Amino acid sequence: MPARKDARRNIAGVRAVAALLLCGAACWCPTLRAQTPAASPAAPPVYKDFVDEVGRTVRIPQPVQRIISLSPSLTETIYALGLQDRLVGDTDYCDYPPEAQKKPKVGGAINPSLEQIVALRPDLVLVTKLNRLETVNALAVLGIPSYATDPHTVQEIVSSTERLADVLGVPEAGATLGADLERHLAVLRQRLTGSVPRRVLFIVWPDPLISVGKNTFIADALRLAGASSIVDSSQDWPQMSLEEVVRLQPDFLVFAESHDSGQNDFDVLAERPGWRGLDAVRNRRFAVISEAVNRPAPRIVSAIEDLARQLHPEAFSAHPDDDKEKKNPSPAQPQLSFRSMDSSSGDPALLETCSCAH
Amino acid sequence: MSSYARSPVSATRPLGDAGDFNSDIRLSVEQVSYAYSANPAQAPLFTLEATSFQARPGEIVAILGPNACGKSTLLKLIAGALDPLSGRVLLNGFVTHALPHRTRGQRIAMVQQESPLLFPSRAWEFVLQGRHAYGRTLRFETEEDILIARNALAQVGAEHLSDRWMDQISGGEKQRVILARALAQQPLLLLLDEPTLHLDIGAQVDLLETLRRLASANRYTVVVVTHELNLAGQYADQVALFQKGKCLRVGTPAKVFQRELLEQVFQTSLTVELGSSGRPRVNMPSAK
Amino acid sequence: MRPLTLSRLLAHCAILAAILFVVVVIALKLGAVPVSLYGLGRDLLRVLFRQTSQLSSEYQLIIFDIRLPRILLGIFVGASLSVAGASFQALLRNPLADPYVLGVSSGAAVGAIIALIVEPHLALAPAVAALLTPIGAFIGAALTVTAVYFLGLRQGQIDSSTLLLAGIISASFLSAIIMFFMSTLTGGNYRGMAFWMMGDLSTPPQRIVSLVLRFGFFLAAGTIYTTAADLNLLLAGEKEAMHLGVDVRRVRLVVYIAASLLTGLAVSVSGAIGYVGLLVPHVMRLLFGSDHRILLPTAAFGGAIVLVVADTLARTVVSPSELPVGAMTAIAGAPLFLYLMRRRLA
Repeated sequence: MPARKDARRNIAGVRAVAALLLCGAACWCPTLRAQTPAASPAAPPVYKDFVDEVGRTVRIPQPVQRIISLSPSLTETIYALGLQDRLVGDTDYCDYPPEAQKKPKVGGAINPSLEQIVALRPDLVLVTKLNRLETVNALAVLGIPSYATDPHTVQEIVSSTERLADVLGVPEAGATLGADLERHLAVLRQRLTGSVPRRVLFIVWPDPLISVGKNTFIADALRLAGASSIVDSSQDWPQMSLEEVVRLQPDFLVFAESHDSGQNDFDVLAERPGWRGLDAVRNRRFAVISEAVNRPAPRIVSAIEDLARQLHPEAFSAHPDDDKEKKNPSPAQPQLSFRSMDSSSGDPALLETCSCAH
Repeated sequence: MSSYARSPVSATRPLGDAGDFNSDIRLSVEQVSYAYSANPAQAPLFTLEATSFQARPGEIVAILGPNACGKSTLLKLIAGALDPLSGRVLLNGFVTHALPHRTRGQRIAMVQQESPLLFPSRAWEFVLQGRHAYGRTLRFETEEDILIARNALAQVGAEHLSDRWMDQISGGEKQRVILARALAQQPLLLLLDEPTLHLDIGAQVDLLETLRRLASANRYTVVVVTHELNLAGQYADQVALFQKGKCLRVGTPAKVFQRELLEQVFQTSLTVELGSSGRPRVNMPSAK
Repeated sequence: MRPLTLSRLLAHCAILAAILFVVVVIALKLGAVPVSLYGLGRDLLRVLFRQTSQLSSEYQLIIFDIRLPRILLGIFVGASLSVAGASFQALLRNPLADPYVLGVSSGAAVGAIIALIVEPHLALAPAVAALLTPIGAFIGAALTVTAVYFLGLRQGQIDSSTLLLAGIISASFLSAIIMFFMSTLTGGNYRGMAFWMMGDLSTPPQRIVSLVLRFGFFLAAGTIYTTAADLNLLLAGEKEAMHLGVDVRRVRLVVYIAASLLTGLAVSVSGAIGYVGLLVPHVMRLLFGSDHRILLPTAAFGGAIVLVVADTLARTVVSPSELPVGAMTAIAGAPLFLYLMRRRLA
């Protein structure tokens, strides 16, 4: 018996050591890492440091030839800056302008395929707060720089566009675009002087009732359109109770157009129980604007103008260009803000860079 | 059997006794008492008062009494599962509660009401569990283990059940397999808690006959908790009679089965008659 | 009478290891960039011998920095969750137990969301920032495990039903906190949290995180394996196990800590991937029996296989989009669970 016990102990010992060795090997072996790729034979890229809008310092190779956009608003901005030829990939949701839909896709904003991104060999990936921290960090670890934008007001959208143009190496286009947007906004401001802001409820989603908080760029856009959101919350997407809304009695309900026409949105809403308590519903006082208002891109300015027209028709009635504008509450073709309200401010060079087909 | 020659090295030596114990006595319950309370803040709810008795190899001891008189608690104390409030339980001179778990599993086997099985297993798997205390970590059952398990099943007459699923055999058959598992532990002490509860009279007799046979053949000390008076009277060598946590009498069945005592404990009128073998039989009065 | 032997165990494990190998090779082949098997084998050797200059850099990056780590992550997370699931089913004596039933995943989610809140305020290098979420998640998991342990004590010992109750209540409470955070916090993107919570293998982990995961797996799973025979007896009943020589108190504590460690590591790295920890042990029981000495290793292999398959499907089915892998395991898992229940083996 004793001899057998010793033999058993030896075998147990050998097994233990073997197991440990196996574990060690398994732990270490697969951490093979590809070595950093050899430098390409062409001239080594020049790097420049930029600070993005969330405060990170990013080293970006200059010039930026291959861009991937992980946000529909940034895709729009790239087209607005005329850089669409450098855009090598975007998300499934980048649908404006329509040509953007033909670009190679890398997945959704929240769950893009890292493999696809890497396969497209970008110099820079553009991100917003819509994208996950993990994605951004993973890109950094893979050696791909990412630049984040995060505007909270319409003014910041303009300056963000200009800064992005700097980063991408086209400061002139950025300045021009910025100036044009500023001009539109200035004209609008002037027209609306003296107008009393309409109290509105911007409806993101009817059930549960979700609106926008005061710190969002959408709230700022409403302000510039001569409206003031009745929602005074610091959350970005606050959920409202219908009772509270009825108590506050907004003058207008504002919708961003979705797939169906805006008329439909309102009618569907008016049928829902409880909404009859709103004067705005009973008197059919609603405005529908382009979904461009949801994206922090240059196109938002035209949505602001459109909303201003619907809320303050009297501020626009004295202007000769009025008959050119549509009074239809559901604009079927949202346009980039290059279409001048005042023909004298038209800029042929700018119209050239506009790639929209309208 | 080699198991009897092995002595647990790490168990406590009896106090004030340099290992010189009466080799004839295997189990010694010395002034053991117990109290437990469900809530630590409250006073103890249940008590087992100081109890003493002794048992030899090959003996069957019956712990007798009405429900909730502390019988099961005493059994757990003997098994070493509980720590007595006072006194001690010695198995071959070693305090049962102080034995390491493995050693306890090699010395003391318990047969009690089974928890329901979670995942089905076969009878032989079940019996092999009794060999667990003899194995090292990460080892698989040896030929010896298989032999002992098969032997155990044979000893209880359940060899034909070896490949059957545990949830598909009858209550009596299951009881036999559970006993086989206890035997596979090759214990010194075999403890049974109300083993006859769900058995018919034939199965009850069968079980007790088996216990007597095994006790004398394998020199087990058997302690059975029961409230079946006549089974205890017929098969036990010693009986300990309990009422409300107090041990009223210990001795041979003839000595303990006194009519007045039994009537006091069981709160009903009874008659006791001595059989030809010297063993008492308790009768109920005829229905009026 | 055919008790388990070492040779049978090794034979079954070898078969499963072979299946895992085949699955891994297929997974390496599929993805955004097509890979040929011959090319893959040749490149693998090249990397081993450090001759990487001939490989195109994106290819290298994709295969070795994205795809291979992802597959390995799937292997270890799947194995961890399955072993933890089998262990909790034994510990809690409940066939419906999964690794998250004691609140580990909810605690990890709270930790992760706190890390997300805190991260913008700390200026960290990307490599360090990427560590913040797993570390936060792990701390959250560890705190929850500790709290549930103390809540689950009864008279100084772990009691299965009290533990289960404490775990379920903690999980609900923490889930409510997460909902609260996600709906009231401003400024950050917490929608990503919903994605994380569903379970996601898509972001390649830092090397240190991978090492900790693998080391932790072997340590914890190995420890649980040493109690495999005890667990067999525990399933027969705790009282019975004690009388048969099992140190029930010690085994319960060891298994609780080790299984929680496995779960905590897995969840910290990849979120709460569902159904793997619940179903794979049952399937393996169906195939190989309830003896934990074979159940635990086969569950580990089974979990690895299942998760790698699910993840490969998740990243190729609607390419270039990715489905969350937790959704794939749920879609496949729910019907399978129902089927097993009908066969009354769950």
